[in-house]
Amino acid sequence: MNPIASQTYLKTRTSVMSGRLIDDAAFEAMLQEPLPRLEGEFGLTGISERGLSEAELNRHIERGLIHSLMQELSILLRPLGGTARDILVYWSRKFELLNLKALIRGKLNHLPYDQIRESLHSLPPLISLPHETLLRTENVPELLRQLEQTPYEAIARQARRVYEEKNESFSLDATIDHRYYTGLLRHARHCDAADQAPLLKLIGSLIDRQNLPWLLRYRLNYALSPSETYYLLIPSGRHLHTDLLKQLVNMQEMARILEALPEPLNSRLAGLRQIMEVEQSLTDDLNRQARKCLQLSPSAVARSLAYMMLREMDLRRVFAIIQGRVLALDPQLIRQAADLGRGVPGV
Amino acid sequence: MKQVLIQLLADDLPLAALTLAELGMFSPGGGDDFSEQFPDVPGTRYRELYHQACTRLQKIESHITLRPLGPLAHTRVIGEQELATTNDWLGEVWERCSSFEEHFRRLTDEEHMLGQLEQTLDNFAALNFDLSRLRGERLFLDLHIGMLPSVNVPKLREAIALADYLLFNYMENTDHTHVIILGPKGAREQELRSVLDTAGFHALEIPPELDDEPQRIQGDLRQRRDALANERATRRQAMQTCGDELRTQLEQSRDRLIMAEPFVAMEDAARNRGQLGIISGWIPERELKRTESALRRRLDGPFRITATTPPRTRHRDVPTYLPVNWLTRAFSTLVKQYGVPRYGEINPTPIFAVSFIAMFGMMFGDAGHGGVIILAAWLGRKRLKSFTPFAICAGLSTSLFGLLYGSLFGYEHLFQAVWIPPLSDPLYMLRMALFWGIGFMVIMSLLYIHNQLVSGEISHALFATNGVVSVTLYLSVLTGIYRFVNTGQFGLLPAGLSLAALLALLAFKLIETQAPPGERMLVAGIETFETLTGYISNTLSFLRVAAFSLNHVALAIAVFTLADMMEGTGHWLMVIGGNLFILILEGAIVTIQALRLEYYEGFSRFFSGDGQEFKPLTLSLQGVK
Repeated sequence: MNPIASQTYLKTRTSVMSGRLIDDAAFEAMLQEPLPRLEGEFGLTGISERGLSEAELNRHIERGLIHSLMQELSILLRPLGGTARDILVYWSRKFELLNLKALIRGKLNHLPYDQIRESLHSLPPLISLPHETLLRTENVPELLRQLEQTPYEAIARQARRVYEEKNESFSLDATIDHRYYTGLLRHARHCDAADQAPLLKLIGSLIDRQNLPWLLRYRLNYALSPSETYYLLIPSGRHLHTDLLKQLVNMQEMARILEALPEPLNSRLAGLRQIMEVEQSLTDDLNRQARKCLQLSPSAVARSLAYMMLREMDLRRVFAIIQGRVLALDPQLIRQAADLGRGVPGV
Repeated sequence: MKQVLIQLLADDLPLAALTLAELGMFSPGGGDDFSEQFPDVPGTRYRELYHQACTRLQKIESHITLRPLGPLAHTRVIGEQELATTNDWLGEVWERCSSFEEHFRRLTDEEHMLGQLEQTLDNFAALNFDLSRLRGERLFLDLHIGMLPSVNVPKLREAIALADYLLFNYMENTDHTHVIILGPKGAREQELRSVLDTAGFHALEIPPELDDEPQRIQGDLRQRRDALANERATRRQAMQTCGDELRTQLEQSRDRLIMAEPFVAMEDAARNRGQLGIISGWIPERELKRTESALRRRLDGPFRITATTPPRTRHRDVPTYLPVNWLTRAFSTLVKQYGVPRYGEINPTPIFAVSFIAMFGMMFGDAGHGGVIILAAWLGRKRLKSFTPFAICAGLSTSLFGLLYGSLFGYEHLFQAVWIPPLSDPLYMLRMALFWGIGFMVIMSLLYIHNQLVSGEISHALFATNGVVSVTLYLSVLTGIYRFVNTGQFGLLPAGLSLAALLALLAFKLIETQAPPGERMLVAGIETFETLTGYISNTLSFLRVAAFSLNHVALAIAVFTLADMMEGTGHWLMVIGGNLFILILEGAIVTIQALRLEYYEGFSRFFSGDGQEFKPLTLSLQGVK
């Protein structure tokens, strides 16, 4: 397929697939829909009748939803090649990084094999680590030695340094996340000129959503120094540029940090007191940006990435609803877990 | 194939599993059918111990080479306690191996660091600068010299600027950058250290003697490098010694794991309720008596074997037994590349073997080339292993057709062709290929019909794309065309049969297709048309058999034309080189084309390839990997 044909095909594909995105009304309807029908819609038929434990249930639902996400990704990947394909594949590696963190945490805390295995997502071979080999390692250094034989070698080397210096999982998690987002930016910068600007804008919003809560947590909860906090942040977001981040890390109160943010973040986040609320508001902002990108972006790759990001957010909410309903939790709790009733932007 | 249920005492389950593995003719399965009567699956901890021990042994084997596995002299049941002890011991051995591994990794890192230090010192030694200023504590200045991964430098420079520090890089190599970091002494020193750790900064010490005795420093570094090399050699030697000490015990542990494996591999096919146990699975019918008498010899407790023939509805779950011998093993491997036939379906290996070898010879016929293939296969038998008979058969077929075509290393006049030199009558060769193709297609369709009848799909055997009606359509159309070419008339009988078969096919497709009326009509129409065109295009595909036999001669002519342009040694070098070229290039192409005809024109017609292979329990460390 030539580039123009693949762009047109991909735009049409994402446009058709965007019909699968779920608006708030549909989420509300899911709360009332008969459970077997809801399970069937997401390929989880009969999950509530199998008498699974809570952990097994979580794993099954999560696995089912990630599976459907990966299937949609594989459809979008078909016409793509080169850097455009690379960035979508790289984005999907976030799920394998969740596995990697679970593996490292499990080994650090000497958890048994079965318990660690239960917490791993099953992923396509394209991005999957050799789980069995890694699970059978007997300590963190051996795990890191094995990881050094995989495409995650760079992360493993950095993780080893952090492990040897600090020997705790928080720093490892931070390092892995930092590496991932920096890599995502790098991939975007390697894309064709026409795709670069919209991709950087979209990924910038994603990075802002990570950076600000991290900054608040590192400075206010973990009391890290300004220089270390700055070092752990990702270089360039959409609104939170390098110079601004340097100013923000030197502040010591949440209110002051939020006041110093540029528009539109300033007005959206003004008055918030909890980091969780900030995170939620930034997620809404990312949702808005991704929807705009999906509808209007001239780049088919950026539209595809926006679709995948939105679909992931949707499926996470579906996960919360199905999980809550199977476990017969209080409806108000389910609504809260699925972010309903806060006016999350719809299609 | 029989589905068997062995009822026995739960305590006898491991011994029965071991006995069945020794026989090598039992495949466990179907345990779910008995989950209500026998809800428990014994050996959960046993399995976990086994898997952990196997993983440990595998990891140890990457450091200590064990002798090849021989037949076990005496087999016995490995108890859970013995398995646990073996696992613990393997854990200790692995810990030693792992610490060796980690140590080697550290030595590599140290060697790398030493290399970096040498580069730094070379760099400093060339400077016209008092190096003592870079050493020791200073009153107002906090100064650090070292290196860090190059990717972290820009971010670190910005981050430490927030603590009023400056970073200068003075040397870069592949992935590391050497830097000097300096700032005011005071409260922010601790802050700097923390961020340096996070960025992977390694401090480098500047030896005091570098100013006045650079030779000594070079000597010291050389000594440190030698010491590292010595340490590596010593460690390797220690590992070797450790391996020699432990090898026998490790091999005994391997034997224990091999004997433990059958019970593990049973998984949920071995079940129990209290003291009563069962083993369920599959055994080829002719092995039933041998299995029963072996169990009678080994088991002290009572047992009972019930063997049932699987009903047609369960054929999809029944494993297919594909017996192989030294001659058919390679052909069977190639068949399995496409898929495994379902239980009850005809094993395509013999048909594949005969038709593949025949087509290879038809396309590549040359007595001399065949001889070379046979010789090469024999000489390379250690590498080719089970593919040696395959290559020899291909060589024999090539030679046989070489005799029929009268061709020896491309020379067509050295002896009289038993049949016909291909280039003497290309149209005749193409006709022959077409007849071969028609015969091949009809046989494949008959196999399909047989397979459908065995599965109880009578309507498919009659009306599906490769069923009786389709074959009738194919043959009647061919007859009509043949008559038309020879007499100018299609003929009433072929026309009537063709029309009736087409209508029957269309009617069947209309019934089979699940769609709204318009779409159903369209799909059925297209599929019926596709059945006819499929047969014709697949038949024409076989023209390549003749085309390649002609191509072989044409290539030989090209080689001789080139050779004739030269004289003496050049001529013979060209003849030999050209023949080698034909052997390698055309040999590869003909192999691929013959495989293609088998897979696409043959296999796709009569077997789905979604069967399960019969994999018996054996005494090896392969079954549960």
